[in-house]
Amino acid sequence: MRPSSGGAPSAARAPVIDARDLRKVYAMEGGLEVHALRGLDLQVGHGEYLAIMGPSGSGKSTLLQILGCLDSPTGGSYRLAGQEVASMDEDALAEVRNRRIGFVFQAFNLLPRSSALRNVALPLMYRGVRAGERSERAAAALARVGLGDRLEHRPNELSGGQRQRVAIARALVTEPDILLADEPTGNLDSRTGKEILELFDALHREGRTVLTVTHEAEVAGRTERIVHIRDGRVESSERTRPAAVEAATGAPPGGLP
Amino acid sequence: MILENLRSALEALAGNRLRSVLTLLGVMIGVFAVTTTISLGAIATAGITGQLQAFGNQALFITPNEDNPGSTPFSDADIEALSRLPVSVLRQRSVRGVARAGSEESPLSVNGVTANAPQVDRTLKMARGRYFTEAEDRRAAPVMVLSADAREALFPDDPNPVGREVSVTVGSSRTFYTVIGVKEPLTGAFSFAATAAADIPLQTLYLTYPSVTRGEYPFLPVTVSLERDLGDIEAQVSAILTRRRGADTFRIQTIEGALTLFKTITTILQAVLGGIGAVSLLVGGIGILNIMLVSVTERTREIGLRKALGARKGVILQQFLIEAVVLTLVGGLAGLLAAVGVLYLAVALVPFLDEVVLSPFTVLLGLFVSVATGVVFGVWPASRAANLSPIEALRYE
Repeated sequence: MRPSSGGAPSAARAPVIDARDLRKVYAMEGGLEVHALRGLDLQVGHGEYLAIMGPSGSGKSTLLQILGCLDSPTGGSYRLAGQEVASMDEDALAEVRNRRIGFVFQAFNLLPRSSALRNVALPLMYRGVRAGERSERAAAALARVGLGDRLEHRPNELSGGQRQRVAIARALVTEPDILLADEPTGNLDSRTGKEILELFDALHREGRTVLTVTHEAEVAGRTERIVHIRDGRVESSERTRPAAVEAATGAPPGGLP
Repeated sequence: MILENLRSALEALAGNRLRSVLTLLGVMIGVFAVTTTISLGAIATAGITGQLQAFGNQALFITPNEDNPGSTPFSDADIEALSRLPVSVLRQRSVRGVARAGSEESPLSVNGVTANAPQVDRTLKMARGRYFTEAEDRRAAPVMVLSADAREALFPDDPNPVGREVSVTVGSSRTFYTVIGVKEPLTGAFSFAATAAADIPLQTLYLTYPSVTRGEYPFLPVTVSLERDLGDIEAQVSAILTRRRGADTFRIQTIEGALTLFKTITTILQAVLGGIGAVSLLVGGIGILNIMLVSVTERTREIGLRKALGARKGVILQQFLIEAVVLTLVGGLAGLLAAVGVLYLAVALVPFLDEVVLSPFTVLLGLFVSVATGVVFGVWPASRAANLSPIEALRYE
């Protein structure tokens, strides 16, 4: 049985993401307070493929930032792979971002002057992996996203779809607990966007946990579960492909290559 | 990690080549000024001190006290009295005239001196021929030793005019002399004193130019034998002259005094140029500060991304600090290179500078100053970058 929004975590294993009563209040100038999250609960299991949707201002960006450890909640608890991260200091958060999270951005966010290989190797550098191993692992990650022959190309020598593949390889290279994607196809034409989504599908089939924020129904439609957010709370959580969920959870993700 | 940061620093700087070059120009000028100043001072001091000591360290130059109207020229009796000390005193009188040799003509300073001049004047070296003898002095022989400049003026095509004749016109009288020798050119610190001049025996001068009063000397060059203490001799000379002529009727100049003056001038020059260097470094540093702040702002998204990928504060700080230091270090190296170039040029062009003195201390100081400029003016922008919140930075447009 899969955990659903607000429900209990799976009995077999703890969920990757276990956020309870998450709150985020931004203090604006003039004493004004903006409540971006108002007690949000979300659990995501290993190997789940999940979309978060919601109108702008619903708090989905804030949620993604907190889930990605780019920001800390002002209240509630957030356990990532069993580890409480809500109260961590900056350097500890940097380490969690490095080891547990793979980010894919709408705008790709590649270093323009660095080759694909060096872009992908960057998170490994911040982890302290030796140069030789960095290159090997980065090359393997690029091969996984179908760019094994573009290692030395710079971002401006690659197409938009290829750039996003480099960004996905960079997110994968650290073997994170979860891939977070923020409108990953927002800057791509529909055909290229489809290719990227197929790549996410494939990564999901390999057993990776993928959480994507989107406002496109087409993107969300490929996932197993769509969580709708409104006014800083989960409005609904609908399972779209029960069969696929069962298939994916049938084999433990850790056992896959 | 440091290597990787160094690499991205070089890439970032190379990506903005023109801006980087303009920025490091300030540091370059500063390090150049500081290095050149220190080295030029050292070179000049070494050159001048070396030459003065080689020739004239053990020398005194005595003149009447011009501020005291009662002080008279020195007399033969003064010289006799001084000669009891272990010193050589040169008797010298001069007239000015116009010399002719063949079709060449030149103003000439004619110095009547005693035959011991080569012993008293350690700068005097013969290039051709010989100096005159005491016997020639006694019989007032019409012989002449030319300075290198006089030889050049009167016999431009003949490096060895020994045996040829020179006529000298002083006032209405015209006298012929036979050239018996040519001096070596004056070198180094003394070359400013190079003029067309000729030495003739003192007695010849008295005989030829009766208007010159015998036994009156407007100055006395004195050479002290090398093993004697100059200060002692100076005190004894002063005592003898005071007893004979009275206090405040003369002045004794030493090379030491000239050296002190020279060193004072050098120090002032160094202070002024050093100040210029310091100001350039300050301005250059502010340039670095400015450019690093711009760089941090421009690359806010990059910083946010690096943080999102797990870069700690310290790593970002290091990255931008390395960038600033690379910038200033390159500027410093360029400044050092320019300084070395200018120093070699100065030594090649200025006669009294002997060789380039570039102490490791000066080089290290130049490099240290440039690195320090980078650190001091890079820390603030770097810590601004490091303290950016990752979300804010990623959202930055």
